[in-house]
Formats: sequence, structure tokens, C-alpha cells
Amino acid sequence: MSKIMTVDVLSSIKGAQPSEAVNKLFEVIKNAQPTNNNSFNINHNNNVSLNDLRDDVVIESSALEKQIIIENFPKEKKGYLVVSKVIEE
Amino acid sequence: MESQIHKIHQQLVNKEITCTSLVQEKLNLLKANTNNTVNTLLDTLALDLAAKVDAKIANGETIGLLEGIPFGIKDVYMVQGTYTTASSDLLKNYKSAYTATAIQKLLDAGAIPLVKENCDSFGHGSSSENTIFGAVKNAINPDLVGGGSSGGSAVNVAKDYTVFSIGGDTGGSVRQPAGYNHVYGLKPTYGRISRYGLMAYASSTDCVGPIAKSIEDIRIVLNVMSGKDAKDQTTYASAEIKEASISNSNGIKTIGYFKNFVESDAIDPKIKADFLATIEKIKAKGIEVKELDFFKSDILVSTYYTLAMAETASNLSRLDGSNYGNRIEDKNLKESYAVTRSENFSEETKRRIVGGNQVLSQGFSDEIYLKGLALRDAISENFENDFKEVDIILSPVTPSTPPKIGDSLKDPHAMYLSDAYTVGFSLGQLPTLTAPQGTETGVQITAAKNNDELVLKFANFLKDTI
Repeated sequence: MSKIMTVDVLSSIKGAQPSEAVNKLFEVIKNAQPTNNNSFNINHNNNVSLNDLRDDVVIESSALEKQIIIENFPKEKKGYLVVSKVIEE
Repeated sequence: MESQIHKIHQQLVNKEITCTSLVQEKLNLLKANTNNTVNTLLDTLALDLAAKVDAKIANGETIGLLEGIPFGIKDVYMVQGTYTTASSDLLKNYKSAYTATAIQKLLDAGAIPLVKENCDSFGHGSSSENTIFGAVKNAINPDLVGGGSSGGSAVNVAKDYTVFSIGGDTGGSVRQPAGYNHVYGLKPTYGRISRYGLMAYASSTDCVGPIAKSIEDIRIVLNVMSGKDAKDQTTYASAEIKEASISNSNGIKTIGYFKNFVESDAIDPKIKADFLATIEKIKAKGIEVKELDFFKSDILVSTYYTLAMAETASNLSRLDGSNYGNRIEDKNLKESYAVTRSENFSEETKRRIVGGNQVLSQGFSDEIYLKGLALRDAISENFENDFKEVDIILSPVTPSTPPKIGDSLKDPHAMYLSDAYTVGFSLGQLPTLTAPQGTETGVQITAAKNNDELVLKFANFLKDTI
């Protein structure tokens, strides 16, 4: 099902509107003439080769790292981390 | 060769100063400074580390070149246990759980972190005014902006509050503030230094970049931070750049400059005249100078911002207050996300996120985003062809001198256009150094990909030439 989403919904920013300053930039791109429309990702990628992938291993976080992650959590109640109410729709 | 790092290292080794007194002196300067360069002082950590260096020296142990050298860190790098705010309301109480690879390498070499430095929020800006910590004031004239987004870092180096600082450069964020504050600032080849632990703005152009007062110090710090990192798979292995290999200009025969940059109506007449005078001095040294054709400035700026906004919209989508950040509760999860983001992002950050989502949307992506990618490839191809003709491309850093504080916020489009000379090299992923010479805001020295050594070599030549 396709549904039209406005930029404020897409961006999760209330009341967000496209800005004139940014639209001016996009107009330049619309009117530009790239030499070759199909060239992207042919010569200039940063893909890592299959032989060079990092090891697929689980690395245990340090105790300090875990503690800071918990500290950063926005809300806590009686020792539990509290998430926002789930979407009811 | 001139080097603050070598000088301080000798003073420490010769016991002319103690590391603790050095660090305390810099901390005092940072604390008292009125240029708004500080987000967090790392005083306890810095003094603890300094005491260890002093103990080593007192015991007659050898210390490494960077051991005990105080430095600053743009507040977008993770340093375990320190606040990492990105100068934003959303992350004003966020603590790094781990340390960025580039910073860890400096810590391993014994350098001492003093400060998390003020910058534009999430790197979104060219003036360091888009910050919750107050606009960064220029080191030379405090009525003017410090430049951005790594403004606090460049000002700290210029004022000698730090010996070097680590900025981040996505579209000019190290080079432009370096130019505005008359210091050196390097954007290395993309991938030379790991981005792991650098808060992502536009991942395809984000680079870790050192700012310092001498070419030698840039070389030292670059060597330490470079290298392949499994945590950032765009990194590559690079050879160490030796001091001797950049001390002469052998091998540099031809340089080029973009005619349209200099002939543009937007360039300040004094910057233009000074730049052309620099070109003449280089010619007088027997180096051939070629005029090169390049894309128009508005195309460069629009291509860069289109891609950067698309990438930042994606990268910042994780910042919703669910696991960290300043969550604002509302009636349900979706509303909580929206209120959290609306209240905590700055106007400029919201502008860029919305712009990014616009270009990634159905109906716009072909016309704008994909075309932007094609333009980027054409720009890269242009560079590849240029570097068959010339060894170095020289360019002004900015079309104008630094604006007054307050002016950039009034006209975001004008601010975007002020990045005209830096963004092209970012799109090309090329190594580019701002040298504080040649024009009021310096010159950019650029070489082909992976040829950072040649950039530093030419910078040394330029230093002796003009």
C-alpha cells in the first residue's frame, strides 16, 4: 500500500516544511547536465572486497561500556529501563 | 623543521618544564577564554595523565614524541566517559561509551586530551554559530566567526590553547576554519584515517582532520592516526610519511588552478589579487602553472549539499530519544520521536534533515539525488583527468573573509555558497591542506587520491617561497 507521506512525517519533525534556501540548491541540480547519467558507482566506490571483510565474531563490550550505555538511557524506574509507549494504531 | 610538538618534547625531556605545569597552563587558558571554544574541559583526566608522564621522566624512562603533548578534540568524537554533545540539545548529557579509533591512537601514543571543542551542531554549519554553547569567536578578530564546523578546534590552535586539535571535515569543516584563523588544517584522503567513533554527518565524505601551527605537526599527527581499521571498512593501509620525504619540492613540476574559481563574481577582489600574486611567485620558482576548467561553483555546492543532506537525514534518523539523548515523552512512541526531534534539533539541522528526506523521496530521487550522484562521478572524473596534467591543484580556501557573527544565520543559502571552494575536493575524496598563506584566508593544496605526502611536500615549498 503506498501512502503519501509529507516531509514532517518522513523526518519525524513536527511542522517541518521544505525551505527556500535548500530548494534553491535542488533547482541547480535539476537544471544541471551531467556528462553521463549512468556513470555512478562505476569508478569511485569504496566497497570492501569479499576477501577483506572483518571477522564475523561477537565482541563482548567492557563492563564500563555497558554501564555508560545504561547511564545514557533516558528513563529508569525501579531498576528497569523505561521505553516510550508503543504505537496503538 | 618548525614544530611545536618537537619543541615541547625537548623541553619535557630536558626537564625545562613539567608536563603537569604545561597541562595546567593550557587548562587555565581554556577555562578563562572568551572565544567560546570549550564544550567540556577534561581537566581531571588530563592532569592524571600529565602526572604519569612526569613520573616517567623523573624515573629516567624514555618518552615518545607525542607523550605529554596536550591536544583538543572536536565535540563529535567519542572519548569513553566524556560528554559528547555534538553541540546539540539532543545530546547535551550524552556520554561516550567507547573511544574513537583516531583518538585512541593518539591516547596510545601518550598525547593528552584537554578539551571537547565547540563546533556547529552535528557539523551542520560553516561558522560555528549553530551551537548551544555560544558562537565561536574568531582568534584574530572576535567580532567575526571562528569558521566551521570545527571552529573551536581552529581557534584553540591559533590561540595556543592546544598544541594541535582534531577536527572533522565533511565539506570544508577543517580547512575553512583553519583558513579563517591562520593555521594549518588537513583533510586527508577519504579512508586514510578511521571514522569509527566520529559522529556521522555525511559518511561518504566525512574525514578526520588535524589542525596545527606547522606542517611538521600535521605530519606527525597524521601518521599516528592513519591506518586500516576493521571498524571502518572504508579505511586503507597507508605508508608513513617521513620528514625527509617532504622537506624538498623535488618531483613537483606542474601545478594547476581552477580559472572559474578566480574569475567568479563572488570572490573578494583582494583574495583574488593575492591568490594570483601567489601563482606568479610559484611561476618565478620555475614551476609550470596551468589554468584548469572545472564545474561551476553553484553546481559543486548543490551537488555536495544534496548528497550530504541525504546522508545526514539517514544518519540522524537514529537520534529519536529511545535509547539515549534528551527524550521528551508524548502520547505514543511516534509522537515522542517527533517531539523529541522537533524540540532538540537546531533550525539548521532540521533544514538539512528535511532537505535530505525530500531528495530521497519517491519522485525527487531520480531528478535530484541520483543526478547528484552522477554529477559527483563527473566531478571525480574531472579530477582524475586534471591529475594526469598537474601534480598539485592550488585554490583559495574561501571566496571571502570571515563574516561577522550573526550574518550567516540570517542567510543560510549564502552560507552554503561560501563553501564553494572546499566541497569539490570533498566530493573527490582528495587530500587537501589549508596553508595559512597566499590569501587572507589561506590557500588549499590538493593532490591526487592517496597522495597526502605530496600535499605536505608542496606546503613546505610554499612556506619557503612566499
